[in-house]
Amino acid sequence: MEERSIYIMREAKTNFKNVAALWSMGKDSTTMLALARKAFHGKVPFPVIHIDNGIDFPETYQFREELAKKWKLDLIVAKSEIKPEMSGFACCGANKTVALKKLMKEKGFDALIVSIRRDEHGIRAKERVFSPRDKNFKWNYKDQVAELWDDYASNSGADDHIRVHPLLDWNEVDIWNYIKREKVPMNPLYFSRNGYRYRSLGCTHCTVPIRSGAKNIDQIIGELEVTKIEERSGREQDKEKSYVMEKLRSLGYM
Amino acid sequence: MIVNRVTLLGNKDHGKSTLIGSLLIQTKSVSQQRIDDAKKTSKKLGRKFEPGYILDSFQEEREREMTIDTTRAQVKYKNTGFEFIDVPGHEELMKNMLSGASYADFAILLVSAKPDEGITTQTKRHLFVAKMMGIGKLVVAVNKLDAVGYSQKRFEEIKMDIGSYLSRIGFADEEASFVPVSAYNGENLVRLSPNTAWYKGRSLLDELVTESRMGKARKQRKLLISLQGVFEGHANSVFGKVLSGKASRGDRVIALPGGKTSRILDIFVSGRRKRSFEEGDIVTLRLDGNIGREVKGTILADNRRSCSTGNRIRALLLATKQLKGDHSIKLNGVAVRCKKLNVKMEIDVATGESKRSSRIKPLSAGLVEIILDRDIATDAFSRTPEIGRFVLYTNKSFSGIGIITD
Repeated sequence: MEERSIYIMREAKTNFKNVAALWSMGKDSTTMLALARKAFHGKVPFPVIHIDNGIDFPETYQFREELAKKWKLDLIVAKSEIKPEMSGFACCGANKTVALKKLMKEKGFDALIVSIRRDEHGIRAKERVFSPRDKNFKWNYKDQVAELWDDYASNSGADDHIRVHPLLDWNEVDIWNYIKREKVPMNPLYFSRNGYRYRSLGCTHCTVPIRSGAKNIDQIIGELEVTKIEERSGREQDKEKSYVMEKLRSLGYM
Repeated sequence: MIVNRVTLLGNKDHGKSTLIGSLLIQTKSVSQQRIDDAKKTSKKLGRKFEPGYILDSFQEEREREMTIDTTRAQVKYKNTGFEFIDVPGHEELMKNMLSGASYADFAILLVSAKPDEGITTQTKRHLFVAKMMGIGKLVVAVNKLDAVGYSQKRFEEIKMDIGSYLSRIGFADEEASFVPVSAYNGENLVRLSPNTAWYKGRSLLDELVTESRMGKARKQRKLLISLQGVFEGHANSVFGKVLSGKASRGDRVIALPGGKTSRILDIFVSGRRKRSFEEGDIVTLRLDGNIGREVKGTILADNRRSCSTGNRIRALLLATKQLKGDHSIKLNGVAVRCKKLNVKMEIDVATGESKRSSRIKPLSAGLVEIILDRDIATDAFSRTPEIGRFVLYTNKSFSGIGIITD
């Protein structure tokens, strides 16, 4: 799996002129950066973007500063606005996506590496590894590009950019096994404090922790082997009504 | 743990998504929330519970009761990992079906036992694709047996018909097995059902476990490395994937089709410096010379004759639409324009028979000769699949797939 992700990131770097990656400081996008360091001999060769709505957890900001320095990341912080009356669909759609659009346009990125995984959500399971977005950032999920034999799409000319998904095949537990094996630095919020931990991290408004006593990686892996609860159960935008994720994603959300 | 990829095949409405949905529920591979969500949607649409909704997560897919695009779901069973690839059965959605099926090691073909469904041209087309793509093992699930009173006679009838088609298109007897199932009721998927006491074989999942334990051996040892690119600022440091064979520091390689030779000065495998590398490795190589401008798609070999070089290929083609206009192929990650595409034979996928023809109808197959506008390195699909298969584009849109025959 490591090999395939490395192959995909190298493919992105070779095929596009101006690649960037999204980094939320969560476990998946941090693992992706660890893989990029392997693929490109110790250095992440593209800018990493944090879309910052200003209401992430303090631990998350601290983790960002520490790791950005340690790994010499080319960090771009894109401020997104947060409106107190919004949450869930309206919030993720209006704020994060708008801020991302603005930044992509400014910097002219033609490919964006995003650490989504198939097992997170039924809609994400339908994704391609290289997935075009049109001028309005729309995902044309009703007529996706052909993707056979690890032969990925290039920009057809009508696309704004291509989303690249190097972790699409990974499971939640694969991520933790890799974090353990490669000693990838992790945001402390994933580990249990006072009987709770975060299994999936978003902003402070829409993320709730799960009841868990898992204080270290081994205990998290043990917990995942037996759990019957959805990974993103603490994430507002996945619930609301059915098809919210579909609508969010078709409008340019991650 | 190695994950075996298993694609579903078969006509629309013969039960592909339902079968995966039932498998996920029976093996407890899906969260209660996903099941509840599928239940709620079924109820809202005024239908009985449809396990296929666990896979079909687009609104359109659920409302129209059809799979539009391919998806995947994992199952762990008896210490074996499986990734099931769901694909659409509709003829118009062959592009999405092929995108999913191209990643499979094994296939499950579904045929409905209902008298008004049964074996269709699309059933056979999917089998033809499985053969083309080199899928080595096939389990035929004869589905909806509950709707025909668990009739052994009907099962044997379908088994016979599919069997004779399979041998016509080149499958060996041992490459296919047959299991009677009810995907909706979950019968014979994981555990054997008392309703088919006459069936003495294994359950569907046990059949796949047995098969996955056989392992597969690569049949060749010649050195072939497919190059992806060059490290920025280091013209002699190339990276790529080892398709077959092995080599060590100091060995000489030849870049094809160009023909420049050089020596390997340094080897890195997944970022670590190594003395040698082998099949499957993702490598970075520092060479003692520049291999030329076109790196992407270049093959490094130990011998000029390890693969074919030139601008002419002969191939078996499956067309998904009318082949009229400007063609290009994408092979080993590189797009190449076709100067000519000459059809020699057309193959009727429903019968497996071929006849001389100068055209291939949409959704049919044929033998073709393609003249490209430049030289590339290729090999027969049967020897080196990675450089023996391609995607065909006509007027820049997907129009079929091909495999190189010699």
